[in-house]
Amino acid sequence: MNVEIPYFARHQLSPGGTWISSRQKSLRTFKLADIGEGITECEIIRWAVKEQSAVQSFDPLCEVQSDKASVEITSPYDGVIKQFLVGEGEVAKVGQGLCLIEVAEDDTTHVESTETTGQSPVKTPVQVTHDVAEDTPTEAPPSVNVPLRKHPLDPTNDLSGTATTDHVLATPSVRHFARQHGVDLAAIAPGSGRDGRVEKKDVEAFISKVPVPDEVETASRQQEDVVVDLGRTRHGMWKAMVQSLEIPQFGYSTSLDLTRIHGLLPTLNAHIPAHFLPSASTPSSPRISHMVNPSALYPVPQPPSVPESGRFTKMTYLPFLLKTLAISMMEWPLFRASITPAPAQDTNKPTLTIRPTADLTLALSTPTGLYTPTIPSAQSFSLHALASRVTHLAYLGRQVPCGLTVKDMPRRGGTISVSNVGAIGKGEGASPVLVPGGGVAIVAIGRAKWVWDVSDEFYRPNDDGMEGERRLKIDVSWSVDHRVVEGAELAAFVETWRGWVENPERLIAVAT
Amino acid sequence: MFVSFRHVASVLGARSKPSTALVRTSASLPSTSLRPQSAIYVSTSTNPYFNLTLEDWLFRQYPAHAPLLLLYRDSPCIVIGRNQNPWKEVNLRVARERNVPWIRRRSGGGTVFHDLGNTNYSIHVPRTSFDRAKTANIVVRALRALGAEGYANERNDICVGGKKMAAVLTSACDRHVSGAAYKIVSGRAYHHGTMLISTRLDTLRDLLRVDKPTMNAKGVESVRSPVCNLVEANPRITHEAFVEAVIASFREEYDVDDEPCMVEETPEYVGDEYFKSGMAELPGWEWAYGQTPEFEYVLKKKFGWGDVTSTIRSKHGIILSSTSTLAAATTASSTNIQATLDELGRRLEGKRYGFVQDAEVLSDLEYRSGDVAQSEAGELWRWLKAEMSA
Repeated sequence: MNVEIPYFARHQLSPGGTWISSRQKSLRTFKLADIGEGITECEIIRWAVKEQSAVQSFDPLCEVQSDKASVEITSPYDGVIKQFLVGEGEVAKVGQGLCLIEVAEDDTTHVESTETTGQSPVKTPVQVTHDVAEDTPTEAPPSVNVPLRKHPLDPTNDLSGTATTDHVLATPSVRHFARQHGVDLAAIAPGSGRDGRVEKKDVEAFISKVPVPDEVETASRQQEDVVVDLGRTRHGMWKAMVQSLEIPQFGYSTSLDLTRIHGLLPTLNAHIPAHFLPSASTPSSPRISHMVNPSALYPVPQPPSVPESGRFTKMTYLPFLLKTLAISMMEWPLFRASITPAPAQDTNKPTLTIRPTADLTLALSTPTGLYTPTIPSAQSFSLHALASRVTHLAYLGRQVPCGLTVKDMPRRGGTISVSNVGAIGKGEGASPVLVPGGGVAIVAIGRAKWVWDVSDEFYRPNDDGMEGERRLKIDVSWSVDHRVVEGAELAAFVETWRGWVENPERLIAVAT
Repeated sequence: MFVSFRHVASVLGARSKPSTALVRTSASLPSTSLRPQSAIYVSTSTNPYFNLTLEDWLFRQYPAHAPLLLLYRDSPCIVIGRNQNPWKEVNLRVARERNVPWIRRRSGGGTVFHDLGNTNYSIHVPRTSFDRAKTANIVVRALRALGAEGYANERNDICVGGKKMAAVLTSACDRHVSGAAYKIVSGRAYHHGTMLISTRLDTLRDLLRVDKPTMNAKGVESVRSPVCNLVEANPRITHEAFVEAVIASFREEYDVDDEPCMVEETPEYVGDEYFKSGMAELPGWEWAYGQTPEFEYVLKKKFGWGDVTSTIRSKHGIILSSTSTLAAATTASSTNIQATLDELGRRLEGKRYGFVQDAEVLSDLEYRSGDVAQSEAGELWRWLKAEMSA
């Protein structure tokens, strides 16, 4: 299979198929979505379009065959088919790219960051990749659209309006048209189409009725030096960073191979328990016939109630990385240790307090500042529960004023801090800063990216003449308190972590 | 009304390209002026072309959010899956001898044999609620209501087990009574299958017995399973009883009240554009043969004048290449013969596999190198031709 994609050099496309900044057109990889029914791969029978031809969303794109099912796949976007990534008669796995579609985009970049510190929001970058993969057109088109959630720090982000717009029914081309003209679909809904769908003519009618707003007043240009206060949260960061100079830190960076967990994500996503799914969504129908009721003999225990803010539709890599980190911490008491807080005048030798649980602190970047909530006893959380907790904390953090309370941020924080700087950009090799109270180590997790690996493990000749393998890797950078931890110990600990991350199937053996 | 359904495969236009239009867009679907009237359809026609087109029409025209059931029977025919290879799945020689046509259906999966002892069911649902196990269960419930111990296995094939079968079976294998296939489009999906009530199993075996281990084909290969008829489990089961039981089970599952709509090949249907073009497309060469995925067939034969290995590659029903190599020649003019064989191979390129006329291949060949080569090429050609139509 030919994997050359000539557009890459010009458009600097990240192989995950995410956005390209500030270009009029963006090239998106349309991936074979999870068709359900446990199907993991399909053969492409026939392409219904040719390369370089234009398609509208919902136009049939190709027909694929998997065991006994013949499936018609339609286009998720309006655009031009630039290149087929899988030919007729070839087999594609779920999640694999089927073709490249060039879509006309507006100029706003996906994320703008005005902060350049090491800490960053908890939202993981790979959410966007999976949005593209999930684009199977269903009866309700909102799921087809890649959510344009702006970064909380994006000055143009309007936090209040986003929720309602998502519930308006409209095809992607209508959404695009509305976006181009700065029209909020929530203002037009319901539209004139079927089921209240907003059609293009509704948008046009809206535009012609509403007078064009005046140009937004540009902030008056700054003429001279201005003095501003730091603000409470930023001042808190200042103090912590000054104290951090007391801690001798060493850094350590490596990359983890996420390919295997990437392959498991479709299965995990297909089996998110109903109590973690948003109330509005319909859970996947159970395999067992409705005629048989497990509660017939004795009531099945009710699942715990989960607040709406803690519900999610997709698993991402972050909960998985947190879970495996927590398991590794259980094997390494050193990383469950914190320096025993000593009274000021005490001249006894310093001691470490080792806790029985793996407590993790998340570095959360929010509109109101940098916060560090803690997940106590992270090893006892299931993957889904971790995802739920992370989602919930992120939701609280996004609120203005901040919804995080002292309960979420106890004085005794975690022993390892986790920062997800990969959500912001494609930076490689961040050096996070460990502050007092932040535990013995902090790890910054980068952005997952696909690379060609020709290390000995994968370097081998095969029929196509290709050697090496395409693997999904993520960079992680550690900063560790050298008063407590040796370099070799950290390296060994990271290898323990790697052993779990790169072999996710091991989680089956420890499932309780 | 019995419509003759011999294949109307056209030999003309040998170089036609496979049409991508056969992946149908909602723009390219033929128009229809008819509207579905009920959630339950029973066809009394036994014309497979009509019934397949009826199924397709209901699939595209019925409201996407509502479940639908269709039941029908066909006169003897072989039905192959959307992406299968007829030369690998069907014993074409036996089919011709017994005047049994074969048809390519629109859903995926493997090859089945239809006759009047075999009832077909087709359950259509919205794509988002499509669940193979659930739709299979509708049929399983119907079987149970008829007194047969039916169940669905892990591939969602329907089988029967039970004491009666134990005397007949070896080891622990229960037998299949049904094969199934699925089709999924953006808003809708269907699960359809056959139910063997009292089919001629011997005919089934003869028609589906193909022995071409050297034909290497892409596409879907049928999974052969031992089958048995429902009457072996309960002799009183008939087509009518099965139809009634499935309708009742379907009604119960989806809480549907509709009266079944009985359909036959009335002028109202047969005159409608959708039906006319659908029934014309199915037996046409473009759909029947032209949708065959790529395959390669390696043949060997010992002639009086040497051993020949021929390799034919074909895609979409067209011969891409044909090479014949002569080894162990017993005559002195082997290079001449090889040259003639090469020429014969070149002439086959671009022709429709299995539909090449003698004249297209052999004419003018004799002038190349005298009568000797002509007779060898002729022998080879007759052999290849026979193999390509088996």
